[in-house]
Amino acid sequence: MIENGPLLERLLEGEFICAVTDEHSFHKLQNAQLVEDLNHFLRPLNRRVAKSEDGAVYFLAYCDLNQQARQQLSHQFNATVQSLLPMLEWMQLVQEAMGKDGALSAGDTIKLQDFESKVVDNQSLSQRLAQLSSDKLFKSTSDKSDMQIKQVFKRIKELGYLYQPHKDRLFYIVTGKVEQLIELVRFIKDEENVPISDDISEQEAMF
Amino acid sequence: MSALVEAKSSAQSNPLYALGKERLELIGKHADALMQGYLQGHVDESSFSQQALDKLINGRILWRPDEQQPLSLRPNVNELIAGLTQDERKRQINSDVGEHLDLIHTRVQSLHGARQKGDYAASEHHMQLLTERVHDMTGQFGDAIESLWHRLNTEFGFVSSLDDKILEIELAQRQLRRILDGFKIINFDDLIQLAGSDGALRKLLVSQLQARISEHSGSLFEVQKRLVLLMARFRHQQERALLVNRMSAFLRQHPNFKVGDYANRSQVPSVINQAHGIIALGFIAIDRAQDSYALAELARAIPRDLVPALHSEKQTQGFATSIQDLVATEQKQLAKDVEDYFLHVIESSAAISGVEYLAEQQLPWEPEMWLFQIVAEYEGLPQQNKQSFMLKKDSDRHSPFNHLHIIEDVTLGMRFFDEFQATG
Repeated sequence: MIENGPLLERLLEGEFICAVTDEHSFHKLQNAQLVEDLNHFLRPLNRRVAKSEDGAVYFLAYCDLNQQARQQLSHQFNATVQSLLPMLEWMQLVQEAMGKDGALSAGDTIKLQDFESKVVDNQSLSQRLAQLSSDKLFKSTSDKSDMQIKQVFKRIKELGYLYQPHKDRLFYIVTGKVEQLIELVRFIKDEENVPISDDISEQEAMF
Repeated sequence: MSALVEAKSSAQSNPLYALGKERLELIGKHADALMQGYLQGHVDESSFSQQALDKLINGRILWRPDEQQPLSLRPNVNELIAGLTQDERKRQINSDVGEHLDLIHTRVQSLHGARQKGDYAASEHHMQLLTERVHDMTGQFGDAIESLWHRLNTEFGFVSSLDDKILEIELAQRQLRRILDGFKIINFDDLIQLAGSDGALRKLLVSQLQARISEHSGSLFEVQKRLVLLMARFRHQQERALLVNRMSAFLRQHPNFKVGDYANRSQVPSVINQAHGIIALGFIAIDRAQDSYALAELARAIPRDLVPALHSEKQTQGFATSIQDLVATEQKQLAKDVEDYFLHVIESSAAISGVEYLAEQQLPWEPEMWLFQIVAEYEGLPQQNKQSFMLKKDSDRHSPFNHLHIIEDVTLGMRFFDEFQATG
C-alpha cells in the first residue's frame, strides 16, 4: 500500500486521474484488486474510487451520502452547472478555431500559438473569445486576445480539463475529465428533458 | 533467352505495339499539363499547341464531353491516374462480375472450337485471352479491396468534415456489398462443367479462382467489420459535437434554466457523486528524536529572504509580549509607521533623524517608544539587509557616576549612499 501513497494522496486532493494526466496510475487503477484495497483504506474517509461511465477517468466519490456529503455535492454541482455554458462555449470555440468536426475529447492537443493565430485572423472568433473571457468563470479584464487566451486556458487547466506537460511551453492536452463533463451534459439533457434531440431539422436550421 | 527475344520481336511486329507505345509516350510528354487537367477537372487548352491537342484527342487521351464543355481527360485516363496515385476521391470501384463471366464463357467456347479444329495457334491465343480475363476479374476485386483498405487505414482523410466521412463510409459499405453480391454470381459448378476434363482450364477457372475469391471474401469481411467500427466512432464524435452545440445554444436561450436538486434525491446519480478534495497537511514535529537531524537539514536549507523584510508584524511580536498592556492595533500602527519611516529613508537616500521625522509627520508616539521601535526594527533585520542601512545613535551620558547612556535621537541612512559620498 505504501507505494500507492502518492496516488491516494492525489485522489484525496480531488484530482481526476486519466491516461493523459498520469498514464501509469491510470493503468494501475484498472486493476480491480487494487481498487478494492484503496477502497478499504478510503472507507473511514467516506470515499471510494469511482470512474466515468466510459472508464476514461478515475476520481473519488462518497460512499455514504450523508447530509454533509449531500451538501458538498449540491454545492459542487451548482458550481459545475454555473460554469457549464462557458465551458461548452470554450469547447466550441476551440473546435471551430482548430477546424475539427468532433467535439473535443481526451487526448486532443492544443497548441496555444496555433489557436491564437486562428482566433486573431477571424473577427467573429476573437469577438466570441472576448465575450467568453470576460465571463465570471474566467474573469479576464484584458482587451488583448493573447492575454484573454492565456487567462482562459489557465483557468481551464485549474479546473482540471487541460493538462500542460511542460510548465514553460504553451501546449495543452485535453484530459479525461472532459468526458465526465460530457456525461453530465448528456445526463442533464435526459433528466430535464431538454428539447434538443427531438427535432433535428429545426435545431439545425438555427445554426 | 532466345525465346524471350523471339517473343519480343513477335510482340514488336504486332501493329498495336507501335500505337500503344506512341500514346504512352504522348502521356509522358504532356504529363505536367495532363496532371493539372486531372486536378482541375479540365485542361487548359492554351498550354498546348494545336498540333499537340489534335494528337491528344486522336490518341483518345483528351475529349470534349459536350460542345460547350472544356477539354478534359477521358474517363479511362482519369481512372488510370487515380489508380496509380491511390487517389480515393476519384478512384472507381468496378464490381461488375456478370460481364466478366459472360466473356469467360465466350472465350472458353472459342477455345474449345479452335481445339476441335486442331488449330494450335488459335487455341493458344484464346487461352491467353482467357487467362488475362480471369486475372482481370480477380485483379479488379483485388484493386477494389485495396482501395477500401487504403481508405480505411487513412480514416477517410481525403475528405475533411465528419459528415463527409460518414457519407464516404456509407458509400464504401455499398461498394463492399456489391462486390460480395458479385461473388455470389460466380457459380463454381458451372465453371467446373465449363472446364470439363481439361487440366489447365480446371486449374485456371476452378482451383485458382476459388482460392482468390475466398481470400478476397475473408479480406472483405474484415473490411466490413472495421468499417462498422469506424462508423461507430465517427457517429459517436458527431453525436458529442451535436450535444455540445445544442446544449450551449439551449443554455444561451434559457439563461434561467434550472436543473434538479440531484444531490438531495434518494438516489443520487453517480455522475454527480464526486468527493471534494481533502488536503492532508503535516507539520513539523520534534517529538521524535530520530527526525531531528532531517529537520535541522531542512531548516538550514531554507533560503534567506533577500528583500528587506519591512513587514514588521512578525518582528515586533517579541515586543508585543513584553509590553502586554499595549493594545494590539496600536502596536501594529506603530510598527507600520516605523516601516514608513524606513521606506522614507530608502526613498530619500539621505540620513534622516528619527525625532525630526516624528515631529514632521506629527505622529502620536512618545519619542522614547518611537526610538525604541526604530532600533528594534533595525536590529530585527536580517544581517544582509542590515548592512544596507546605517543607524547612528545620538546618546548622552546620563550621569558622570555611571556608564548609563540615554539615546536622544537616532539617524538612519542608506549605507550605499555614504559609500557613494565617500568615493565621490
